[in-house]
This record gives sequence, structure tokens and C-alpha cells, in this order.
Amino acid sequence: MSSENALETDVLVIGGGIAGCFAAIKAKEQGLDVTIVDKAYAGKSGASIAAQIFWMVFNPEWTDNFDELMDTFVKSGEYINNRDWCEVILKDSLAIYQDMVAWGVEFHPDWSECIHMFPPFTGIRPKFRKAAPVLRKQAEKVGVKIIDRVMCTDLLKQDGKIVGAIGFSYDTGDLYVFKAKATVLTAGGSSYKPPQFAMRSITGDGEGMAYRAGAEITGKEFLTTFPTIASYPLWGRVTWGYLNLFPRFATDGEGNRALPFSDYLEPGPEGFRREWKLNWEFLVHAGRGPILWDLTPVTDDDIKEAQRAETKSGYRAIEHERIGLDLNQRGKIPIAGGPAGYSQAGQAGVWVHDTKCTTSLPGLYAAGDCGGTRYNGSFLTNPGLGTSGSAVTGRRAGGAAAEYALQVEKPVIAKEEIGRLKKLVYASAERKSGFSPRWVTQLLQNTMMPYFILYIRHGERLQAALTMVEFLRDHLVPKLTAKDPHELRLAHETKNMVLSAEMMLRSSLFRTESRGLHYREDYPRRDDPTWLAWTKVKDERGRMKVSREPVPKEWWPDLSKPYEERYDLRFPGEFVE
Amino acid sequence: MSIERIDPELCTGCGICVNSCPMDVIRMDEKGEKAIIKYPEECMCCDYCELDCPVDAIYVSPEKYAPLMVSWC
Repeated sequence: MSSENALETDVLVIGGGIAGCFAAIKAKEQGLDVTIVDKAYAGKSGASIAAQIFWMVFNPEWTDNFDELMDTFVKSGEYINNRDWCEVILKDSLAIYQDMVAWGVEFHPDWSECIHMFPPFTGIRPKFRKAAPVLRKQAEKVGVKIIDRVMCTDLLKQDGKIVGAIGFSYDTGDLYVFKAKATVLTAGGSSYKPPQFAMRSITGDGEGMAYRAGAEITGKEFLTTFPTIASYPLWGRVTWGYLNLFPRFATDGEGNRALPFSDYLEPGPEGFRREWKLNWEFLVHAGRGPILWDLTPVTDDDIKEAQRAETKSGYRAIEHERIGLDLNQRGKIPIAGGPAGYSQAGQAGVWVHDTKCTTSLPGLYAAGDCGGTRYNGSFLTNPGLGTSGSAVTGRRAGGAAAEYALQVEKPVIAKEEIGRLKKLVYASAERKSGFSPRWVTQLLQNTMMPYFILYIRHGERLQAALTMVEFLRDHLVPKLTAKDPHELRLAHETKNMVLSAEMMLRSSLFRTESRGLHYREDYPRRDDPTWLAWTKVKDERGRMKVSREPVPKEWWPDLSKPYEERYDLRFPGEFVE
Repeated sequence: MSIERIDPELCTGCGICVNSCPMDVIRMDEKGEKAIIKYPEECMCCDYCELDCPVDAIYVSPEKYAPLMVSWC
């Protein structure tokens, strides 16, 4: 029989990555009792541990131009950015960077290598896997309590307010009840455990528990894609220096040069161009796959140059034979589809009303990849915005949660509510027969992971996938089993991923246009009058309701300008009537 | 496979790898003395355990592994 741990805190932070650590450290400034609970180990789990390629910092002293960056945001995000947040991200980023330096985060020393890699944004690189653990240490130093290896499954609600969360330890199976005056959700984005990408702990747990508590979830139709080796042998030894080789040596299945983005600039003094869109997916769809990294024409000088870049960037370099990737063999390596299905940072997540990360539920704040802050718009504007965006939004959420916690009384939670949620925590563990979470996850992956569901969409296919996902939801998820607390975690992850899939499919069906990374073959044009808007999903008496929230008119493009001038990136089929 | 071995001769039982694994693949043995591979099915080849092990006791193979769906549940 598992035991129960009841903990009380002023501010509860769910998820201890970049956003969570910044939220907790900020909340602690008010002298409150602050607790981080993490599904794995705060500072070492989730996306933040891999988030090292670039950290965006806006600094006028580095010749950054505020107006140019705002224009880049809006053009890349195709006018559905929340521009208030774009401003906040830019303006708060320098202080965040200065804090991190003061706390001991080491950044790449050779700034000329990285500062202008992706213009017009300026960015720096933390040393590989070193930033988030330092943030954890800082949180510990200022007195934040940290509870690792406890998975929160649901939010506690009393009189319409969020007053903490419930979860369990997958080491012991023990129940954890956190009573809190304010709760910050920084539990990451969502994915379907892509086999190619080492972010399989990110399963939409935050948005799942927020949805079940009645919050609105936005931007689920927008995903991430970027070029990486499709099956990177050992992700922890990822060798970003070789990214420089990607575009030059990428080919389609017929051996033609295949740029990852439809409109792409050679890497060089100008750096990469920011429009990372769906060119590879379109090539695959046209039957011209697989997309390969064809190293046959690579010269010794090319290899030396890539090794130099990699060594300078401070990663554990040149271990390719060890990791099963020998560049000297000049082989052909599949490179499309790595992070398939990962939700878009700074767009998808729990809807926030303002730049304090307030959600529709009093007492609940959301930030990081879990926050529907919408600064990115329809496309991840620039590398490095997910990291600095998580820090900025996390800090804002922590500050606002602390202010709120100072004003409210200690919550009293009905025993019945805790009892109801406790039953849900252990439901799979108490079932003797049914379906294993590993199997249901595989079924979900097979349904959701093809490029023609994630990126090249059509209403008929989305509907077909939705039919399957509804079946998983109604028939298999209620019969999930868990032989031990480890499998209990898998069961909750599976349940959250199925919910996330339903949200993604309904939002994608609802947005009857194409924009950014959301491409609909049956609606290949942007539809500005209708879809300068954000989608929202919300539970209404057990059914998922989809709605539209218009972008404020002052942020719209000039509709009297021709379509081609408003949008310079083309979708296949958009001019065929 | 993925994670292949934790050398019991080298392992000092410090437990760093248990916390480095975001997927709960590694646990301490029943006596709490050595780290063991408990749930290899969840290994995602991130290699963080191997990178963080202070005594190089861990080996993660670059060969990926996906279980076959041989049964209906």
C-alpha cells in the first residue's frame, strides 16, 4: 500500500527546466515558500537540457535593432504573433542573460562564432548541457524546495481556483498532494515520443492537466520542424558543428540538391536565413524521398572545417566512429523528420491572457513551452527563442504567481476532490487486464507521426486520424494497465499524448487555411479575414470545443496590399483556383 | 538496443546516472549499492548517463531499438 505525502507551499512550480527555475527563483524574491516538482530531475530533464544551440539576447550594444527584430517576428510568424510578448521577450532577455552569467552559466567564449549565426537575431551559446543545472543550483541556493521524480497528474481545484496539484512518485508509488496558493505550469510542450529525438519525456503533461481542469489550450495546430539527422545515433553527443554541412550536401532521393527550406540562403558571412519551412516535407510528399545527407562529394577540407567549428563550439567533438556515424565513410544519411510532432515553443500551450502569464483559471500561470504565449506566431521565428523565451516567460509567471499568492488565503481543499483525483492517479495500476501503455503509445505514433498528418495536411486525413484517436481515447485509454509505478508513469504519459493528439487534430481541422508550418492541401492559401486569429480548445462537459480568438486589428497586415506582398513564402497550390 | 551495460565492477553507486536519465531507465539495485538497467525499453539513446558517469562505467550503443508489435496489447 502506498503512503501519502501532503505538502503545503505558497507557490508550486510544476516542471524544473529553464522556465520553471526562473519562475521559482523570481517567486522566491517575495520571501515566499516555493516548491519545484519535476517528473524527472529538475535541471536535467525535458527540453532544456538539449537547448544549447543558441540563446537569443537583445542588446542594443551589439548593434541589435529593435524595430528590425519586431518586423522579423511578425513576418516569420505571419502576423499571428502576440506582439506584446515579442516586445517583452526582447526587452527582458538581456537581464536574463546577465543573471545567468552572475549565477555561473558558462557561455561559449568565442562570440564571433555564434553571435550572428542567425541574423538579424543575436544569440550566444551556453556550454553544452550546462545551463539548466546551474539554474537548479541557483534555485536551491535561494531556498527553493525541489522534489524530483514525482509526476503531477492533475491540478487541484477549489471554488473555480487552482490550488495545487496531485501526483505520484514512480520510485515508490507514493501519492503526493501539493496544496498551493498559486501554481505555475512549466511542464514543457508535447510530442508523441519521437523515436529519433531525445525528448521523449515531453508528453504534454502540463497542457493535459490544465485542459482537464478547464483551461483553454491554444496553437495546437503549430508544430516544430528542423533539420537534424533523422536517427541521431546518440543524441547527447549531438554535433552541431556539422549542421554547417547539412544544407550543402542534402539531396532528395533522385540525387538533386534539396534545401531544407523553400527559400534558403547559403550559410556564410550572412548566416542562415530564418525561414525554416516545409521544403523537405513537400519533396517527400511528391515522391522524391528519402532526403539524404549525401557525403559522397565532401572533401577533406569540408570535414576539417566542420571539425574546427565543432571543436570551437565546445562540444565533445570527433567521436563519430564511437557513435556510429563516420563522416570519413562519406555515406548517405537520412536527415528529415527528426523532431516529428514536437509542439511549437512560444505558440502552443495553455492560453495566457497577458504578459504576466495569467490563464483563464485563477491561481494558474503557464510559461515556457507549456505557455500559450504566442510570441512566435505560425513558425518558430528563430533558433534561441525557445530558450530565452522560456526564461522570460517563466520569470514573468513566477513574479505574477508570487504577487497573487501574497493576496490569497491558504487553500482549503475538499477531501472528496482529493479522493476523486487520487482514484485517477492509480486507476491503471489497479486494473488487472487491458492494454499496456507502451502498445497504445505505438498505435498513437503510427497514427500521428507520418509527415502527411503532422505537416502536409488534408481535412480527410486529419478526420481519419481523429477517428482513430477518438477510438484510442474511448476504448483503450480507459483500460490502460500499469504493472508497477514506472508503468504508471507511462500510462499517464500515454493518456496525455492521446489528449494532445486530439487537440492537435481538432485545431488543425478547424484552421481552414494554410499558415506557417500548418499546411492544408485542401486550403493552400492564407485566409486573412478569417484566420488572423488564434485557435483555442477547451473542455465543455466532456466534449472538446474549438473556438477562434481574433488577433487584435492593430496587429493585422495592411489588407489593401496584394496577398503576394503580405506573404513572400509560397505554398504549393495556393494560386490554383 | 540502446543502453547496453553498467559495469558493476566500476560502478561506485553514486546514483548520478539515475538522475541523469529523464526516462527512468536506470535504478539502484535492491541493496542501493549499484546502478542497474531496470527499464531498457524506455531508453532514447540520449547518452546523458554515459556522459555524466564519473567512472565511465556505462556504455550506450548507437544501435536503436524499437519493440515489435507482436501482440494486441
